[in-house]
Amino acid sequence: MAQRYNILIGGEAGQGPNVLTQIIGEALIKNGNYVFYSRDYESLIRGGHNFNTLTFSEEPVSSNDSKIDILVCLDEKTEEIHKKDLKPNGIILKNSKENMYYAGSIFKLLCLDFKLLEERLKKLDKFNENIKNAKQGYDEEKKNLCRLPNRNENNSFMNGNQGISEGAIKSDLGIYYAYPMTPATPILNELASKDGVKVVELENEIAVINAAIGSSIMGVNVMVGTSGGGFDLMTEALSMTGIAEVPVVVYLSQRPGPGTGVATHTSQGDLNLALNFGHGEFSRIVSTPGDPKEAQELTNQAFYLSQKFKIPAIVLGDKHLAESFYTISEKPSFIKINNETPFRRYNSYETDQYGSATENADIIKANVERRLNKIQDIKKEVSKLSRYSAYGKENSGNVIISWGSTKGAIVDAIKDMNAEFIHLKYIEPFPEDIKEKLMGKNIILVESSSTGQLAGIITKKTGIFIEDKNKILKYTGRPFFCDELKEEISKRFKK
Amino acid sequence: MVVNLSTTTKSTWCPGCWNFQILAGVKNYLNKKIKTEEDKKNYAIVAGIGCHAKIFDYLNLNGINTLHGRVLPTALGMKIANPKLNLIGFSGDGDCYAEGMEHLIHAARYNSNIKYLVHNNQVFALTVGQPTPVTELNFKDKTTPRGVKLHPINPIMLMLSAGATFVARVYADVKQIEWVLDEAFKHKGFAFIEVVQPCLIFHPDKDYKKYTYLLKDKKHDDSDFIKAMKRAQEFDYGLPTKNTKIPLGIFYRTKRPTFEEGLSLKK
Repeated sequence: MAQRYNILIGGEAGQGPNVLTQIIGEALIKNGNYVFYSRDYESLIRGGHNFNTLTFSEEPVSSNDSKIDILVCLDEKTEEIHKKDLKPNGIILKNSKENMYYAGSIFKLLCLDFKLLEERLKKLDKFNENIKNAKQGYDEEKKNLCRLPNRNENNSFMNGNQGISEGAIKSDLGIYYAYPMTPATPILNELASKDGVKVVELENEIAVINAAIGSSIMGVNVMVGTSGGGFDLMTEALSMTGIAEVPVVVYLSQRPGPGTGVATHTSQGDLNLALNFGHGEFSRIVSTPGDPKEAQELTNQAFYLSQKFKIPAIVLGDKHLAESFYTISEKPSFIKINNETPFRRYNSYETDQYGSATENADIIKANVERRLNKIQDIKKEVSKLSRYSAYGKENSGNVIISWGSTKGAIVDAIKDMNAEFIHLKYIEPFPEDIKEKLMGKNIILVESSSTGQLAGIITKKTGIFIEDKNKILKYTGRPFFCDELKEEISKRFKK
Repeated sequence: MVVNLSTTTKSTWCPGCWNFQILAGVKNYLNKKIKTEEDKKNYAIVAGIGCHAKIFDYLNLNGINTLHGRVLPTALGMKIANPKLNLIGFSGDGDCYAEGMEHLIHAARYNSNIKYLVHNNQVFALTVGQPTPVTELNFKDKTTPRGVKLHPINPIMLMLSAGATFVARVYADVKQIEWVLDEAFKHKGFAFIEVVQPCLIFHPDKDYKKYTYLLKDKKHDDSDFIKAMKRAQEFDYGLPTKNTKIPLGIFYRTKRPTFEEGLSLKK
């Protein structure tokens, strides 16, 4: 494994750690590095303690490590809290309140071209002040940490929310409805800045989903975005889409629950919710992107499948995917969306051929069976798509299984290990053929939850049981670190 | 040529129900406007859940019989998708003032170009007679054997104060429905129309007609907000007595840009 470097930038909300991280990340990517950064922030607007952790390497990276090479302290608290995580030869940058001073220091430390920084600062306000601070930081820094590859690879830098938005735009999204809720809120900003998309904020999530249904029956591609609590409010209307057969795409961005839970942190605790929401029996799609490229593709596929089968499609993300930035080196592929939703008579009741309510037993039976039989066609269609990806050593006796945003840390962790990793991109319909890959293997589950929900689903769908001791679960609201996961996985290898 | 707006669905309203009058009034109005099958595509209906919603099954128009309480957001979504659509929403007092109240307040503020009829029979009739937010004080049913101890809300005052641009009340009478729809469609914006239709089964007084009077006979000025509020206070939704006065007609109308107009696309 190539050397990985971790930079932690911490400070109070409002001190600008995000713009600083973004500038460093973009410059490192321009120089041919792979960069990943995650955001850890509190539910407040000014003060508190926020930090970003940026990891870079010559090889692809999609996670952070728990130990830090460079600690950037925009305030004193940052040093107090994170000093314990600094590597023995790690560097602390402190004593300035100006974030661009540190940009200069880091450019010097990492041998990045100062001209890149100057060009980037021209895009921000207060250029004169920023460039002065940056120059000072650059000149005052005397150390030199590492040799950089200095390649030019034209990779892009994107977070999960941008991926979801891009996937929706590529699907000819007409209207996005939402009520603000972390961590789905940034989609509102993202889409509001695009031409040709109507972005509508309504009084609550119940209005949001019902308005989306109203627009969908008029033949417009719609998406709604929310987190667990908002999604709960939407589920009655989503159940109606099951009987009325109305296409709708829902972006469910998880955070820790139950209740209000932990608003600005991450979780994978809503998998069972996504699979089981709504009263009555009806089909749905649940896809689980693991990075922004998959977010683009799976959002696009959600539009495709939801339109084709007139069903709700849930794109299940979380805060870690939504707000972390990833280096994207491959172009996503998209399916063209044809909206053929007819303007007709829709009903939340069981209906006759005229779209009027009915209580006729024979009609009810026929309607139920027609909707039930869709599942076979859905399975057939989804089987044409990539439903899971395998990483690592194909014939290893150790198989790690997971879904969604844990992908990044697992892919990084198993690089030099004797393990195969199966990352699920669809949970509904479930790719039952993974049974062959799991049979007779030492299966290890990784999930950001306290119960390991995927294990139950695997048992239900394949009959394969995952032992509790083989479940690596994290439920602190924080994502897995690469080094932490490496250790946890190797503990569970068969001797 | 008259376009057929009827369905073959057998009506299940109680014999003599005021809802028949509402249906006939709506049909009369639409028959004047819809001359071809093509015209029909420019009209849509949305209904909620309750006795009122059966109207969806008796009107052969596109649209949706949506969930309980969700007529207004559903209709709003349809209008955002197609601002040219002529849309009538139907709710009952349970659908609108109980389950869907949060949407009603905002609908008045949004001012989407939706014509909204609230069939107010002052009771949850389809669930056999429980009190709604507009049921009179001391009303008794099996769930309230000692009588209702809550005061009814006054939806006309509520809509005025929430900023509705068209606020009317009519009786469940063919002619009045036809007339008010004509006025409502002339208005560009949200039209709130309460239809008085006392429930024949669950209400002690089955016909409020004798207590009503027409605002236009009193030369009411519907551009005057203060006068509209005063008129709205005249009926408190109590069980009528010989002194009760129920004003009918347009309380207030004003102009404001619609929700759809505010959503222009930068293309």
